[in-house]
Amino acid sequence: MSQAVARLFPLVPGAKVPNDWYDAAVPSNIEAGRNTLVDSSFCFKNYQSILPVGFKVGNNVTLWRTSIATEERGMIEIGDDCYIANASLVAARSILIGSRVFIAGGATIVDSDFHPVDPAARLADTIALSPAGDRSTRPPIETRPVIIEDDVWIGYNATILKGVRVGRGAVVSPGSLVLRDIDPGVTVAGNPAAPVTGAPS
Amino acid sequence: MTIPLGLEHDWYPGSVPSNVSLGRNVYIDTTYAFAAFHSGMEPALTLGESAGAYIRSSFIVGPRGRVRVGAYTIINGSYIVCERKVDIGAHCLFAWGTFITDSWPASSQSAESRTAAVVAASRHPARPFPETGGRPVTIEDNVWVGFDSVILPGVTLGRGCIVGSRTIVDVDVPPYAVVVGNPQRVVRVLHPTDDEAARQNAMKHLRADRP
Repeated sequence: MSQAVARLFPLVPGAKVPNDWYDAAVPSNIEAGRNTLVDSSFCFKNYQSILPVGFKVGNNVTLWRTSIATEERGMIEIGDDCYIANASLVAARSILIGSRVFIAGGATIVDSDFHPVDPAARLADTIALSPAGDRSTRPPIETRPVIIEDDVWIGYNATILKGVRVGRGAVVSPGSLVLRDIDPGVTVAGNPAAPVTGAPS
Repeated sequence: MTIPLGLEHDWYPGSVPSNVSLGRNVYIDTTYAFAAFHSGMEPALTLGESAGAYIRSSFIVGPRGRVRVGAYTIINGSYIVCERKVDIGAHCLFAWGTFITDSWPASSQSAESRTAAVVAASRHPARPFPETGGRPVTIEDNVWVGFDSVILPGVTLGRGCIVGSRTIVDVDVPPYAVVVGNPQRVVRVLHPTDDEAARQNAMKHLRADRP
């Protein structure tokens, strides 16, 4: 007989998630508050932080099919009561998310471009990353912290790029690509994203 | 034939098609990359030395399609959809969710012929999509395309250019230009620093114990 199976389980550092389809444990170098739930350790497939704490999350947070991806020196910090569904958070250094933030499916937040812009450095990066390459010889890559303030809503397939601060209570419409800071309370849309004027959405 | 690196733990019960030509040290995550590979050309796909097809990268290639991927190019979860010809140079970077296609009939065909194509495909037991008059895509060396972008038929991306994330490209991009947005616009032009001396210098850093 089938029975109802809970979809979400408490996020416990270093522990396996019950009934997990993905055969790995949650990383131990994280901190999680009370009643913060996760669906699978697959959320941490690309978590590579070697910091003492590379992921810090508050109370009552929901992480469902979300990629908490960090590079070795990456840190992601999330406040309380955030709901993050099917999004990707990719930190080379720092992504800071406040409380009561909603992030919808397909959204991507990154604090780096992952490769250099300069053509010669970029070509060298393809060689360092190749199967025969030495990753320790990768050229330096610029990172700029991302800050998402409290009460922000981020829509489906939206993209927040490096160095952006999204002000308190702002709304990022679905499909937006955000390159610049968003003032508190403002709704943006488009690629590149710009403030929406007229009726509030 | 050469066995690519990376298939030791392949979860997909497939194989590398015999008309795929592999250079030395090519990496392929999974043979799922070839689940929609129908080309009968010889060779149909060429992957140059140390090129890689990572995570969900897929080569969706029709019966007469030919794809070339140059040396040291990284395809990191992108989809190459080819009816006739997609030619990609060396040292390129393609991020996740990006589509590179020589066939998007809605932009070049009448509504009637589009409809005829989809109806014909829908009634065939094996669901092959008919050819729709693809226009070749050419991507020169050292091009970087960010995630979730779309490179449309007939486009040439010039050497060293950058296509930003979630950009839709339907016209040629000049060498060393940086384009972003939908539709794309040029936001800056880079200094062409990637000469042969720079490449040779970077090649010195290859591991001595490389496979």
